[in-house]
Amino acid sequence: MNSTVSIAIVGSGPAGCYTAQGLRKALPNAQITIYDRLASPFGLVRYGVAPDHQNTKSIQAQFARLFERENVRFAGNLEVGSDVSLKELRSLHNIVVLATGLSRDRALGICGEGLPEVYGAGRLTRLFNAHPLQTVGMPRLGESVAIIGGGNVSIDVLRLLAKQPADFANTDIDDAALAEYMQSPVRHIDFICRSSVANAPSDPVMLAELGRIPGVAFSCLDPFSVPDDASRIAGARAKAIETLLETRGGPDTRVEVSFHFGHAPIQILGDGHVCGVELAATGSQGATNVVVADSVVTAVGFDFDEDDWHGLGPIQANATTGQLGNGLYRTGWVKRGSRGTIAANRACAKSVTEEILRDLPTLDMSTKPGHAGIPWQALAHAVDYDAWKRLDIAESGAAAEGRTRKKFPSHERMVAIANNHLAGALGASEN
Amino acid sequence: MKIQVLFGTESGNAEMAAEDIAASVRDGGQEVEIHDLSDFSISELQHDPVYVFICSTYGEGDLPNTALPFFADLSIVGPDLSGMRYAIFGLGDTFYTETYSQGATKLDDKLRALGAERIGEFGRYDASTWEPVGEKAVEWFSGVLTELAVH
Repeated sequence: MNSTVSIAIVGSGPAGCYTAQGLRKALPNAQITIYDRLASPFGLVRYGVAPDHQNTKSIQAQFARLFERENVRFAGNLEVGSDVSLKELRSLHNIVVLATGLSRDRALGICGEGLPEVYGAGRLTRLFNAHPLQTVGMPRLGESVAIIGGGNVSIDVLRLLAKQPADFANTDIDDAALAEYMQSPVRHIDFICRSSVANAPSDPVMLAELGRIPGVAFSCLDPFSVPDDASRIAGARAKAIETLLETRGGPDTRVEVSFHFGHAPIQILGDGHVCGVELAATGSQGATNVVVADSVVTAVGFDFDEDDWHGLGPIQANATTGQLGNGLYRTGWVKRGSRGTIAANRACAKSVTEEILRDLPTLDMSTKPGHAGIPWQALAHAVDYDAWKRLDIAESGAAAEGRTRKKFPSHERMVAIANNHLAGALGASEN
Repeated sequence: MKIQVLFGTESGNAEMAAEDIAASVRDGGQEVEIHDLSDFSISELQHDPVYVFICSTYGEGDLPNTALPFFADLSIVGPDLSGMRYAIFGLGDTFYTETYSQGATKLDDKLRALGAERIGEFGRYDASTWEPVGEKAVEWFSGVLTELAVH
């Protein structure tokens, strides 16, 4: 029965790749295709992980094996919803697994959020990563930015904004975005985290890393302490922050960072434009204080679309099951919400894979065409794995001095290079 | 001589290294089995001539979650492992200065405390080098095999 089972995974980020690994092991003869709307595989590893965290991005080598050795097909530049409907995809495959992630920055739900200088963290990380569908450019941050949210994404944003060009050696940061930002880099960053130091959602090592950026001075107005019986991670976090605070900025200080742990934003202030953020100590009634800011970056997680997603209705996080319908599953952030590291998606994929295997006897196992049944108009422009490798080589070849690669920030250009349809010489123009 | 390759992984990279070692052993014409530590019982530890542990580090220098039950069983049951021979390869990242490769170190300490004998050099892989982990693991294991041949 398993010899003909045809599986579609939508999204080639960590969630999709880990699921393909699990399904390939359990069903060696299954026909597995990973579809992606982009021309490149690996999703958030490529476009969400900060460009100066190449060690984290190196997990791509593990995922590449799926396509290079494990007979999993990559079908890029195929968007579910426009090139093929979800309904059609389900009719062509026995099993469909959604691993699309979440890309919408979660709203704070406070007054002033609609002011023009309030930006989502996803926009910044996509810009610095040269995401081809991030068409709105580098936001105007001004002299002072308030970053709201205390997780690792907030720290990514802080670090990317505090670094100088020289600090990006051996990365694949988008140089055009960096140059645009460097025309007026921020001088002051307020880092606002609702949780106390002990309970903050960040990894201590992410905080410690900030101390390696030259020219940054750190301060924290409120004294903090971590209870003696706190977890090891809380102790390590407190130690990391204490070390940062000891780094007194000298005359070379370019950027000042103020930490506000245990503070929640009450409202973003400004008449037409952001001028500050009003904060209150978490759990306290009454007294508030104001930090002056020209702009706000929100980094409080990513959210589900409220719309009716491909006829499935508005979907919410579900911790217990990945099943959405007969033969239809979801995994990764689009199942659990935007929590956890890359590795957390491996455990999630394992549980969804087990669920699928358990359900196999109840699924429609009639022979399906799979990838071959995708409308020819869509297949004609699809980017397969060999085509992606062409693009991969072109990116490496175009890397400037001190860069690991040059990502092309135009989807059309990526597709053209991948599919060898580029008129004119490679690299002749920037985009 | 059958070689048992056991891996403890969080992100899958230790599994990939374990698979590469197993493939190289198989290519060398030797019998090899590969298991996830999450599916391996400590009662099976004394059946084979040599065990190869490939283990990463997670969180604040801990073993990966998938290897925790195995490690807990070793601690609680405290089996006598004298006569057991093993080799160990730890995956880590010197970016995490203080906890670098501590997961594998904890496992190694435990195995030795229970009487097992380590063969060959403690292998260490540093992700900050950006070298392919599989190749480094296979390279390390060929050294272990040389050591085994001497014994």
